[in-house]
Amino acid sequence: MKRPSIFPAAAAVIATVVLFTAPRAHAHRYLDHAEPKVGSEVATSPREIKVWFTGAVDASGTTIEVFDSNGTQVDKKDCHQDPNDKALMIVSVPELAAGTYKVTWHATSTDTHKTKGDFQFTVKAKG
Amino acid sequence: MRYCKWAAPACLAIAFTASTAPTARAHGYAGDRFFPPTITTDDPFAVDELALPTVSYFVNPADDGSPKTRETDISFEFDKEIFPRFALGVSNTYIFQKPDGERAITGWDNVELTAKYELWLSEPHEAIVSVGVKGDIGGSGRKTIADSFSTITPTFFFGKGFGDLPDSAGAFQPFAVTGTIGQSFPTSSEAANTLEWGFAVEYSLPYLQQHVRDIGLPEPFKNMIPLVEFSFSTDENRATRGITTGTINPGVLWETEYFQLGAEALIPVNGRTGPHVGAAVQMWIFIDDLFPKIFGHPVFGG
Repeated sequence: MKRPSIFPAAAAVIATVVLFTAPRAHAHRYLDHAEPKVGSEVATSPREIKVWFTGAVDASGTTIEVFDSNGTQVDKKDCHQDPNDKALMIVSVPELAAGTYKVTWHATSTDTHKTKGDFQFTVKAKG
Repeated sequence: MRYCKWAAPACLAIAFTASTAPTARAHGYAGDRFFPPTITTDDPFAVDELALPTVSYFVNPADDGSPKTRETDISFEFDKEIFPRFALGVSNTYIFQKPDGERAITGWDNVELTAKYELWLSEPHEAIVSVGVKGDIGGSGRKTIADSFSTITPTFFFGKGFGDLPDSAGAFQPFAVTGTIGQSFPTSSEAANTLEWGFAVEYSLPYLQQHVRDIGLPEPFKNMIPLVEFSFSTDENRATRGITTGTINPGVLWETEYFQLGAEALIPVNGRTGPHVGAAVQMWIFIDDLFPKIFGHPVFGG
């Protein structure tokens, strides 16, 4: 009788070892959620734009910028990391007029993996 | 054991790449779009990837005197970026076949080697075009299961995300399509040349959440990509000329930081393909995230 192959068990063992004994790397970071929410409409201008990433980011290589519909940068260029949450980056904005704004982000994890993305939110006209 | 003959070179190649990483690039990205590796059609990216394992079950129909056969395949695929945008890969499959009324047959299929080059990539349009070649090495598998002849298949790959649609069509921006078209050239005069073609239609819930509209999806749904894959093969000559076989494979992929799990049904498109629905599950391990000093950058020119 032919002996059963060891390949299925070996594959499962190798996959398990790779996943759970690998050094805890710092994977690609992506947007987890934001305030204002991605694609949302807000009644009043936010004072800050907050972006939570899927894990800790390297603040020196991570930026958030806010642009109006004309492509003019409108944030206060004070992007900084929350001291209590290494996954949270914050940038201040002045009182924003009604309109649609684009938030672009560039994130760098501590092992230099770079990611980027953007989203929009809208400040509704008063009235 | 036949398959061990390439194990040493593979290990040497892996060890050779173990240098310090300067800058890692994201796997499978064109602009904001992540193109996940798919189960039955190859993705267009030439990056470091490891699929371990892929398990599929399918029933092959009776054909030319051979009985209906239940088949379970367990396979792996490893790809390594050698030069920027150029990767080499190796894959193989362990096959369990149980023909009706006959003894089971098991063994390795032929080793498959691949080379792929990313010809063109547009970040604003989330688009990519790649070319490559696959080589099925005849005689490298078990004689009772694998072909005795080799097959060379030049292949064209493409991917397109629809994030560049106008904002008024925001609900469609998470869609993406990837596909392959390959022309096989077997070295045996008895085997038919085939056109290998397939594509995948994906709807990325992570893209929806991160770039279009946060609709408040909870875990694990916010990291899922529902998709349908279409995988076909059309014989171009010999006795089976003009006959197409293939499957339509609805399923879902689930992304985590370090791995991707996928599951699909394999629905035969006709009786020549199979009498029953099969299934496939797969785990892709993001080795560039797990081992960033070794993977995630080319061996030369990174």
